[in-house]
Amino acid sequence: MAEYVLQAQTLLGGYDQQFGAIRLREITGADLISAAIPQGGEAAIGKELKRLFGCALPSIGKSVIADDVRIIRLGADQLFVLMDERQSGKIPDLKEQLSSVAYLTDQSDSWVMLEIEGQDVRLALERICMLDLDPQTFAIDDLARTLMEHMGAVIVRTSEDRFLLMSASSSALSFLHSVVTSVRNIS
Amino acid sequence: MIQKLRIEGGLINRKSELNFTFNGKVMKGYQGDTLASALLANGRKLVGRSFKYHRPRGIFTAGSEEPNALVQLRSGAFTEPNTRATTAELFEGLEAKSQNHRGSLEFDILAMNDLMAPFLSAGFYYKTFMWPKKFWERFYEPMIRSAAGLGRLSGLEDPDHYDKGFLHCDLLIIGAGPAGLIAALTAGRSGARVILADEDFLMGGRLNSENYEVDGLPGSEWAKQAVDELRSMNNVRLLNRTTIYGAFDHGIYGALERKTDHLADADGKPRQVLWRIYSKRAILCAGSTERSIAFGNNDRPGIMLAGAVRTYANRFGVAAGRKVTVFTNNHDGWQTALDLQKKGVGLAAIIDTRDREPVHMLSGVDIHMGARIVNSAGRKALKSVTLANGQKIETDCLAVAGGWNPNLHLSGHQRGRPQWNENIASFVPGEKLPEGMLVAGAAKGHLTLGATFADAQEMAEHQLEDLGFKPKTGDTPLCTDEDYQINAFWHVAESTQRAWLDLQNDVTTKDVRQSQMEGFRSVEHLKRYTTLGMATDQGKTANINALAVMAELTGKSIEETGTTIYRPPYNPVSLGALAGRSRGKEFRPIRYTPSHQWAEENGAEFVEAGNWLRAQWFTRRGERHWRQSVDREVIQTRRSVGICDVTTLGKIDIQGRDAAEFLNRVYVNGFAKLPVGKCRYGLMLREDGIAYDDGTTARLAENHYVMTTTTANAVLVFQRLEFARQCLWPELDVHLISITDGWSQYAIAGPNSRALLEKVVDQPEQISNEAFPFMGCREITICGGVSARLFRISFSGELAYELAVPRRYGASLMDVLMKAGEEFDVVAYGTEALGVMRIEKGHAAGNELIGQTTALNLGLERMVSTKKDFIGNVLAKRPELCSDDAVKLMGFQPVNRRDVLIAGAHFVASGNPHDLEHDEGWMSSVCHSPTLGYAIGLGFIKSGDKRVGEKVLAVSPVHKQSIEVEIVSPHFVDPEGVRLRG
Repeated sequence: MAEYVLQAQTLLGGYDQQFGAIRLREITGADLISAAIPQGGEAAIGKELKRLFGCALPSIGKSVIADDVRIIRLGADQLFVLMDERQSGKIPDLKEQLSSVAYLTDQSDSWVMLEIEGQDVRLALERICMLDLDPQTFAIDDLARTLMEHMGAVIVRTSEDRFLLMSASSSALSFLHSVVTSVRNIS
Repeated sequence: MIQKLRIEGGLINRKSELNFTFNGKVMKGYQGDTLASALLANGRKLVGRSFKYHRPRGIFTAGSEEPNALVQLRSGAFTEPNTRATTAELFEGLEAKSQNHRGSLEFDILAMNDLMAPFLSAGFYYKTFMWPKKFWERFYEPMIRSAAGLGRLSGLEDPDHYDKGFLHCDLLIIGAGPAGLIAALTAGRSGARVILADEDFLMGGRLNSENYEVDGLPGSEWAKQAVDELRSMNNVRLLNRTTIYGAFDHGIYGALERKTDHLADADGKPRQVLWRIYSKRAILCAGSTERSIAFGNNDRPGIMLAGAVRTYANRFGVAAGRKVTVFTNNHDGWQTALDLQKKGVGLAAIIDTRDREPVHMLSGVDIHMGARIVNSAGRKALKSVTLANGQKIETDCLAVAGGWNPNLHLSGHQRGRPQWNENIASFVPGEKLPEGMLVAGAAKGHLTLGATFADAQEMAEHQLEDLGFKPKTGDTPLCTDEDYQINAFWHVAESTQRAWLDLQNDVTTKDVRQSQMEGFRSVEHLKRYTTLGMATDQGKTANINALAVMAELTGKSIEETGTTIYRPPYNPVSLGALAGRSRGKEFRPIRYTPSHQWAEENGAEFVEAGNWLRAQWFTRRGERHWRQSVDREVIQTRRSVGICDVTTLGKIDIQGRDAAEFLNRVYVNGFAKLPVGKCRYGLMLREDGIAYDDGTTARLAENHYVMTTTTANAVLVFQRLEFARQCLWPELDVHLISITDGWSQYAIAGPNSRALLEKVVDQPEQISNEAFPFMGCREITICGGVSARLFRISFSGELAYELAVPRRYGASLMDVLMKAGEEFDVVAYGTEALGVMRIEKGHAAGNELIGQTTALNLGLERMVSTKKDFIGNVLAKRPELCSDDAVKLMGFQPVNRRDVLIAGAHFVASGNPHDLEHDEGWMSSVCHSPTLGYAIGLGFIKSGDKRVGEKVLAVSPVHKQSIEVEIVSPHFVDPEGVRLRG
């Protein structure tokens, strides 16, 4: 046992609040791995994803759920692999398996993750998100990089009325405040 | 007070009676009233004073075009000046006050301005107040300023909340009158995503103001049913109380929604929301605004637009007078007389400027065809009007119908010029419209109901087909199409009294004449010279008449005279709404370092660095001055060990087969041969050869680097690297991702830094001087298995490390390091101590990398590789940047050790004048060095490296200071670098 022990801390203390029909909560304990696709390596990573998760490489702006792991295609050469706490034991394995086909960077601590869910969720999000979140144009599993209240953000539609919002961890409090304000302003 | 002018009918809810006050007097109205309709119902004629002459003024219109009835709404910090009573929705407890008077509204001292009118004509202040010259700033201007303006701000912080938002649609329909409603029904039924916006709280436009019959229903009932149908459609969004105020590029529109202005208490919710609407197509259905006819003293309370008088009677159940006279140049004016008669309101006369048969015969009403009103009487309320033939008509309300002007404003927001339409004697939208916009209905010049419906349906179909929808057009609503005939008539030339064109700015026909006589004939000059069309109403009821008068004077047509350019906003937008949430601490996001809470608990003073909050220093008990804290932090660090949170430095993860080559091309110095497990200091130039950022880059693996940047430039460097990777060298296999937020990083500096670290790293032998020399880097574990990265780099000049752990452990690591360091008397130090130590060591920072300095200036020329190409390589060799007397970064110390140095001081040789010609450079950074015991500085001076030992003056004329300084090496502390390698 080491003399000094480091305690892990969540960004928002596991924030979880209900505002009328809207629930807003911090996602904690999730692991997020960035996988940069080497030039000309798309086929190889596609093959590896097929082998590991049984899914194809999603196209840019789309995500897929496979084996409780969400694979998020952010750009031509960038994938995020998001695993919730239930998958945490698998991280070293996954890193090992993907490292031959992608350049990996642990992004788990770089982002604050919020899940916002409820009937009026789009009314709240339209106060901070400039994207068209109509299901016709932003379907389930669609995602985009965008800006919310001057903060870089990633938004993923995880179901009809549920979105995953990610933003820089250092401004997590400001990000939470902006989303809470949006919800309060409509509720 | 009883509502003595309330009549039957209207779209108000008589079951919901509301109390409100005007100038402290309690009055009653109903839900569905505006403040204006309620004031009229209570018999209130005089509601304000005019801008310049302080003339008594009453309600003139029933819409947002109102020039007169501007009031101060609410009280205390919530008060808002210049609110149009005609759009302010009545609510229980509403408080309104009249504005722009000294003394009471009834007895305004500044009404004497009216007596001085001959001296206060257009542009008077350009010509008077010229002498004596110095009186302008001291006396005349303050005096004019004090008299000018309408309402008053509270001077307190606005306690209301505002928000912004983003909406998207296939089709934006601007205005929910008959045109807007039918267009929205057509589009909504076709499945398009529609936004229908209207500035009124009740959608329907003129359908609510007129006695139209549509499909066998009263017009207002048809509108209500249309709105109900639209509300039931999921693909339609209705925005009432929403003004589309601007048409911007690419189908983007600005909209202001008044969310809680109609409520007594906003309950913490945003008062207004500023929307950015992204539309694929738009239809402007903004209707039309009535205009007046100018005649002598045509600004008295009780003189109103005829359509407004009709609105008050039909929609609000209010008679604007007991004995109304109509003055018209068109058929529509007669409709006012018909509607009022139907409502049982007394009519005195109808005066039509046209010499023709009466349009209708109305029993008991004097009808004067081919007649003109030349004057009116009644100081605070209209009593009579006088015709050109001298006949005087007793009347308490004059309904003036000068014709209707299409509300084409938004069609011109991208510099489109309107065209003249002789049939309606007004301008209609020109051919150049904002992209994706069509105009329909009255806004396009179709001033009758049937034509409006048909046109709007056609425009909607056109837009829908364009968008790929199959329009589901229902039958065009059945209605009678009114007969609209007009003979343009702008002003009564026979009037000898002042005849008002712009009621809000007190611009009369004489002012236009004066403008023309003095050469200000262009419409743009006319506007500026007379102030025509300025302020809250932007001349909506004034401009066309004034143009017509100018056209008459210059002998040109109105079309040739033209209009000014229409610009956003269509109606006023409060500054609060434009700011939205971006106020105070919410102006921008705040980034917190992992040790923030610890710092707060330990007396930190914070400073903003970009969006970060960083600890500047930590005040301990007994310290009364920041320098005591900073000196202590420096001394203790240099003596033993100090800890500084350096998480804010940019950290960029760089991976790829070509990562080494990539770095080689962005840094001036070589990186290709940097061994794995080593860091290197690097300097980056802009394309023009000027240095813009520096930092260390560590090679963690063959194809894996971590670059650090300065805090301030972290985003800029990332952007530029992305540009280089994607656009300059797409052939390189390089991948970037920011890890600034993912890793918490602490500098551990001082002779005991290694000893402290040894207590927390899992394998202390890994960090011995031999195993881990200066500029080493490695991935390690600490505190029993937590992954960490350790870099042996030093900004302070001491034996130093930077230790990084995943962000989740960052706060805890600060506690652990402070605890583990207790035996060494560890100290936390802030950015000030960091700055002092880097100046003592001679390291350049933000004060030196100012976008004007080169590697040569910074004394880093030996770092610049001559064996490779890199960004900035070519232009850095410009002769001007490489001259022999180029400024060099040097150290400076005062000859008199008690002198305090000033950053920004310029160097001048002793005996030379203190001017630009003799300027030899500048002091960039200064501090008190607790290590040396006196002030020191870094600065740039011509040929500095050859002038060590020379004395010059550091001159700061701003501070009236001239200090003799000696040029020394920039490395004040440990110039050989023994400590950091120890």
